[in-house]
Amino acid sequence: MSKPIFDLVDDLPTSNMTVSLLNALDFAAPGQWQNLVGFVNTIKAVTGETDENLIQQIGDRAVYLYNDRSQGYQRAMWLYQTVDSTDKALGAAALANKVGDSVGFLGFLKNVTPKADKAQTIDLCLKLVTELIAFCQINGIPGDSIGDFVASLGEYSGESMIRMAALVCVDGLLPLGPDFIQRALSSISNTTPQELEKSNTFRNIRDDIPGQDSGSKLNFIGQSFDSVKGWMSNLVANRDLSPQKVATNLQSFMQVADDKLDYVAAFLDVSTNYYEHTGTQTLARRLIERAVAEI
Amino acid sequence: MIPGIRRILAALLLSVFLLTTACTAAPPSRFDQAQQESSRQRSGQAVAKDATQGSEFNKFFPAPGGGYDRVYTQEKKGFAEANLKRDGKVLAQLAVSDTTSTPGAAAKFSNSTRQIAGYPAVQIGNSQTAVLVGKYQVKVLSKDPTFTAADREAWIKKFNLAGLAKLA
Repeated sequence: MSKPIFDLVDDLPTSNMTVSLLNALDFAAPGQWQNLVGFVNTIKAVTGETDENLIQQIGDRAVYLYNDRSQGYQRAMWLYQTVDSTDKALGAAALANKVGDSVGFLGFLKNVTPKADKAQTIDLCLKLVTELIAFCQINGIPGDSIGDFVASLGEYSGESMIRMAALVCVDGLLPLGPDFIQRALSSISNTTPQELEKSNTFRNIRDDIPGQDSGSKLNFIGQSFDSVKGWMSNLVANRDLSPQKVATNLQSFMQVADDKLDYVAAFLDVSTNYYEHTGTQTLARRLIERAVAEI
Repeated sequence: MIPGIRRILAALLLSVFLLTTACTAAPPSRFDQAQQESSRQRSGQAVAKDATQGSEFNKFFPAPGGGYDRVYTQEKKGFAEANLKRDGKVLAQLAVSDTTSTPGAAAKFSNSTRQIAGYPAVQIGNSQTAVLVGKYQVKVLSKDPTFTAADREAWIKKFNLAGLAKLA
């Protein structure tokens, strides 16, 4: 049996590498994210209700909805968990090696290997596709038109917004540089289905990606990236994001060597699970919003 | 001598046993009962098979305009929801749900002493007002302190309740 939703939300950490990372990225999505943890806390924060009997009803309904497999919530949770390739031992070791207020990343340089551009691009695209699929599993396809659907995507705020900002910063700008969108586009268009199949993440989530075979799944991945590139470049332009700016802000919690940003990205990739962490928060919020409206 | 060692060993084993079980067992939760009840089957326990698709509800939502935006946020079987926004700020959530899946939700209207637009109405908690239209619950939830109970009632009336009644 999978873990109950209330345990997943209760067990969200209040301080670890992931939380430090997301706090440091506040500059990219100012004020969007507070680390809301605890199932009852989340019910209170999302609904504004304080009556214990009402909180019980909302929570019970959310538990029922989450456990009904036909509703897609467990699939979305699994996707958020699966797309993070965290090595938790490394994250814990990194925190244990804090030097003053800063995580001594330099000592871990020998333990991480930057990914080749193509592998990094595939990871970036798979995370984006995961977001799209998880969105539909959680929310359905809201509204009656493409415009309605795009508007519902535009409602990204809070945990969802910081997740996308982290994706742009940690999986885009840091490893691939300021022109990461163009580089990713050209790289994904030169990727063969056989190369895609070498990705562990792809092999894990392939059944959830639309398409009959790896070739058509690759097309879907490319189209998905293409459809959000405007949104990503707007974020980069509006917040004036650059690899240097990301690196500077990361220094609030870790030692960063400016000439080794690809190593920093590789280190964060294995020592944090920001997709799972914020994905759990997004899912809990939407589940509770539905539960309170249905009871 | 030997019985003494046995006693110590027994005490040691017992404390190790207590320690490990105490650490592995999850603390009880107030939601354990719901968890157990809803884990007995894989699907269908939360949403009835014959519940109306959420897409059927969209056309009965209040139209945007007059400075208000309506952004649909969720559409699942038996449920549809939209944010009501003004100047980019979410003021309220508008929702329609099929109470076939949630008999308790429909039952609360039997104690209703008032009506909105001719339908039994209830106020729930600090932030919610709802009416029952046939088997469908229409609910408006305040997400901003400026959006009052009177606002919720006004927006419930802006749904096409008569149309929804025909769907039921």
